[in-house]
Amino acid sequence: MKTANQPLLSLKGITKRFGALTAVNGVDLDVCPGEIVVIIGPSGSGKSTLLRSVNFLEEIEDGAIVFEGNEIGYLKNKHGRRHLDTPAKICALRSEIGMVFQHFNLFPHMTVLGNVMEGPLTVQKKSTAAAREIALDMLSKVGLSDKRDVYPATLSGGQKQRVAIARALAMRPKLMLFDEPTSALDPELIGEVFDTIRALGKEGMTMIIVTHQMGFAKEMADRVIFMEAGSFVAQGTPEDFFANQMEHDRIKSFLTRIL
Amino acid sequence: MKVFSGRVCKTILLFSCLLLLLVPMAHAEDHEQIFQQANDAMGSGDLPTAITLLQKIPISKDDDNSAFVRSRMQVARLHHALEDFKAASASAQEVLAIYPDNSEAVNFLASMQKELQPGYVTFLDDCLRFLPQLLKGSVMTITLVFCTILISPLGGLLIALGRLSSFKPVSSLCWFIIWLFRGTPLLLQLFFIYYGLPSLGITFKPFTAAIIGLGLNYSAYLGEIIRGGIQSIEHGQMEAAKAIGMTYWQAMRRVIIPQTYKRLMPPIGNEFIALIKDTALVSTIAMVELMRSADQMFNAYFNITALILAALIYLLFTTIFTFIFEKIEIRAGIYENR
Repeated sequence: MKTANQPLLSLKGITKRFGALTAVNGVDLDVCPGEIVVIIGPSGSGKSTLLRSVNFLEEIEDGAIVFEGNEIGYLKNKHGRRHLDTPAKICALRSEIGMVFQHFNLFPHMTVLGNVMEGPLTVQKKSTAAAREIALDMLSKVGLSDKRDVYPATLSGGQKQRVAIARALAMRPKLMLFDEPTSALDPELIGEVFDTIRALGKEGMTMIIVTHQMGFAKEMADRVIFMEAGSFVAQGTPEDFFANQMEHDRIKSFLTRIL
Repeated sequence: MKVFSGRVCKTILLFSCLLLLLVPMAHAEDHEQIFQQANDAMGSGDLPTAITLLQKIPISKDDDNSAFVRSRMQVARLHHALEDFKAASASAQEVLAIYPDNSEAVNFLASMQKELQPGYVTFLDDCLRFLPQLLKGSVMTITLVFCTILISPLGGLLIALGRLSSFKPVSSLCWFIIWLFRGTPLLLQLFFIYYGLPSLGITFKPFTAAIIGLGLNYSAYLGEIIRGGIQSIEHGQMEAAKAIGMTYWQAMRRVIIPQTYKRLMPPIGNEFIALIKDTALVSTIAMVELMRSADQMFNAYFNITALILAALIYLLFTTIFTFIFEKIEIRAGIYENR
């Protein structure tokens, strides 16, 4: 059942371990449609792992992922052991959730247009003409229509990340995940990527963004979450978070370190 | 004049008859003496003296015991030994002037002429003699190479993907295939397939056996190369492909494998150049290819030109391959050009 206030995504008790290390420790998170959630925190705190779990790039040990009211991605066998759903199902779920990586991961052997067309063409089995139309549309959205015929190697870091965003958007996802999208960029290139993300937000895209850019968090986020050692330590609206949570020692020391 | 009585006359007549009879014999004895002296001179290394001695034997049209021919041919050989080819030829010509059909003189002149012609003419003559056979062999070599080039990349890809499979039996099987075919000599594998399997009731024609042997061996090698190529592609590529909803196989086909082409070209080119030379091994299982043809020519004529020619043909093939693979490598990596 879908109601107006129903969260688009609900994470319930997400737990991910790497051997003895618990990377994500029972995290709960509700993300409403159109909401922009920014997660900050020191490296190794489990932010990226949490994000990758939502896209099934990491298989979680415990917890549930509820998307549009349905629990997704995991099945239980007759012994009660949980395991990932069938590859076909997982692929279908992933195509509804876009992801942007720190290192872009563009396909270097395809042109910019080819990169953006690849999802609609191969995954959604659209015709070349239809895929091309979508891709051109997405490229104009990120302002790179003029680069459509070049290979990624010729692009700047900022341009690469905008192509990566266009590639994710071409699948018409309902939710976008950004894993430190500007961490690999020269400072002067960060702005163009955030402009693109900002424009997406204005269109009402639901987004979870892991970043170290506090300025961006302050300006864009509906909610800021501080994560440490696999758990959410504090969260709130940007105003509330940066005004009040600063009293929190660990947040204060983290913020003074990176600002 | 009563001095010359009938008796005396008779005696003189008888004596002269005897003399007449003795003259040829005396000649023959002279000749043998000359040959003997000439031999002695040769024995002591005095070839010019031997020549002078032998030339004393007169020209004779009815050379019964062939002293004339023998002497002149010996003179010719001696001149040849002294590298006076003109005199050698003249001496043989002397024989031909009297006996135009003398085969010894004809052969001597022919072989000397061949010897005296510039080296490259001899070489070209030999080349023309050997080329038809060698080219026939080359066609077989090229056929073997092309069949293996068609088979082994596919076999290699299957083995590589099998090795990377998370399904244990498949990855173990592929590991075993690589271990077996990389760990034993190709020659042994060919022997086993052609000579060994018939005892198990499986018989192949030489060509089939050769293709099976080369195909399996090169699939195993390429399998490891392709696996390395796939694993060298950054992990993020697979994640990005999965993140837009691709299955593992779609990601492999569309994203991962195409990126390996450029990286794979140098090692695969290497393998295929080795393959051109490895086809020589199938000559041991009753296949007549370039190496076997060259070997046959060499044994028949004992002429190393056959081997040199085969080497040149192999070099030609490997050079063409090197060139082709350089071109493909550049084409495959075109997206890396800035």
